Amino acid sequence: MNVASRSPNPFEAAVADRPMKSAKPPFLGFGLGLRHQHYDEILNGNPPIDWFEVISENYMIPGGQPLRTLDRICERYPVVMHGVSLSIASTAPPNFEYLQGLKDLARRVEPKWVSDHLCWTGVHGKNLHDLLPIPYTSEALDHVVSRVQLVQEFLGRAIVLENVSTYVQFNNSEMTEWEFLSELSRRSGCWLLFDINNVYVSAFNHGYDPMTFLNGIPRDRVVQFHMAGHSHMGTHIIDTHDHPVCEDVWDLYVAALKRFGRVSTMIERDDNIPPLDELILEVNRTREIANEVLPASGKPAG
Amino acid sequence: MSDFARQQGEFQRGILTADDSVLAEILDSPREKRETLFGVYRYAYGSRLVEVMRNDHELLHLYLGDEMFDEMGHAYVKARPSQHPNLRWFSQGLPEFLHATAPYSEHPVLSDLAALEKTLNDAFDAEEANVLALADMAGFAPEVWNDLKFQPHPTASRLDLSTNAAAIWLALKNEEAPPDAATLEAPSRLLIWRQDVTPMFRELTAEEAMMWDEAATGIPFGVLCSMLATYDDPDSAAARGAGYLHGWITSGTLAGVSADE
Repeated sequence: MNVASRSPNPFEAAVADRPMKSAKPPFLGFGLGLRHQHYDEILNGNPPIDWFEVISENYMIPGGQPLRTLDRICERYPVVMHGVSLSIASTAPPNFEYLQGLKDLARRVEPKWVSDHLCWTGVHGKNLHDLLPIPYTSEALDHVVSRVQLVQEFLGRAIVLENVSTYVQFNNSEMTEWEFLSELSRRSGCWLLFDINNVYVSAFNHGYDPMTFLNGIPRDRVVQFHMAGHSHMGTHIIDTHDHPVCEDVWDLYVAALKRFGRVSTMIERDDNIPPLDELILEVNRTREIANEVLPASGKPAG
Repeated sequence: MSDFARQQGEFQRGILTADDSVLAEILDSPREKRETLFGVYRYAYGSRLVEVMRNDHELLHLYLGDEMFDEMGHAYVKARPSQHPNLRWFSQGLPEFLHATAPYSEHPVLSDLAALEKTLNDAFDAEEANVLALADMAGFAPEVWNDLKFQPHPTASRLDLSTNAAAIWLALKNEEAPPDAATLEAPSRLLIWRQDVTPMFRELTAEEAMMWDEAATGIPFGVLCSMLATYDDPDSAAARGAGYLHGWITSGTLAGVSADE
């Protein structure tokens, strides 16, 4: 199927501008990214974690222990699926085999939502397994809107897209990242996963105020926060997810709560995985800060 | 081609090769030059994939050590760029790469060790299926036994190794010093499968390996026993066949049996 941007076919262009209407996903509380190192502790201990986010690709496999464990987690906790290979901004043809695998997993998991990143992972039949940046141009926006529309129709649900950490900016960008995300969400109907650490990382790397980014995102489109750690290289920050959340990112979390209200929040650790108890302390802190900043019944600000 | 598509092609080429063309489209940051910033993507690409290979091939990594493993890993990354969206399948081609590429091909134990790890990994997350139990065999009358055909469990597979890689694997797994690599006079015939959630392997005799390979293609039990009779004492062929079958069932390597003619 040809979904190249700036399609000469007016019907395709019209379709691409029709946002998918969907009810805003529910507030789940304060969660954690599921990692195999913690399988036993979770299943044997029922730790006080409100929900789990699972990496979709880790379970897009034929069978065995990972899927059996996932089934048991799903029986006990709300789960959301978070992918890394949707490559929604790629100009390569859509990978329907991948999408079918994602849809099959969603049928099994019945996640509260399915998310991935505003990025691309490869073209010309190759996959670089990285969350690669895009230029913020109207051409790119048209393309991504049409791709989101296609994916949402295939999956039969609105998807959630996350802002990624970026290390470079393109000289042909015509708008800011937050303008791009806002327009993408408005035009396609996708929801946003606001990664607070990624905002901090990108803002530092490109020399702008993270509050400008935060205030540029519509209040009513954000359904999830990510909190994570990073590695500071002096002149730039790399989004390694192998450290605890730093104090600056905690401060930005407070600002995000004030703008977006109570949003499902989770701690995302991908490397240098510590014992579960250590991560639960961070999960507890997300909850405590939210209760301090938003002490009332917790109505979303939007 | 759209400008967006062209730009992605350049960006990807910049990561995969030393081609710096894409830098003309990238900005310096307030604190850092674009070469360094783009270098974050270049560096992350190779190191991420080699890290995945270290996880998939823990014992090959242990056997080679960090430096040699990473050198080999980067050579594989360069030769076989990932074509699948799921990293799970990235290192599937490693045994074949090591077998076909110098200098690794001069040490066949490396591709054997990689093949053993790959096959165990494949058993770990292979699809679920019924496991044939001894009780399932009780329903068959003696006169239909010659017609019984067996279906291997989807986690079960065979692997022949020309070297002592299995002994090296076992030693490394037990944190013992591995024996010197050696080429065997006769191949080591392994049966690999998953017991509950744990991948397992064991070595078969030439006779049992022959019977498994033939059974896996749907040859009925009676014919299998006739084949066994050509391997060793014909009088005990049926008993040997029944013994092998008993072992396969109790270890969970069969998914089904049928008496279709």
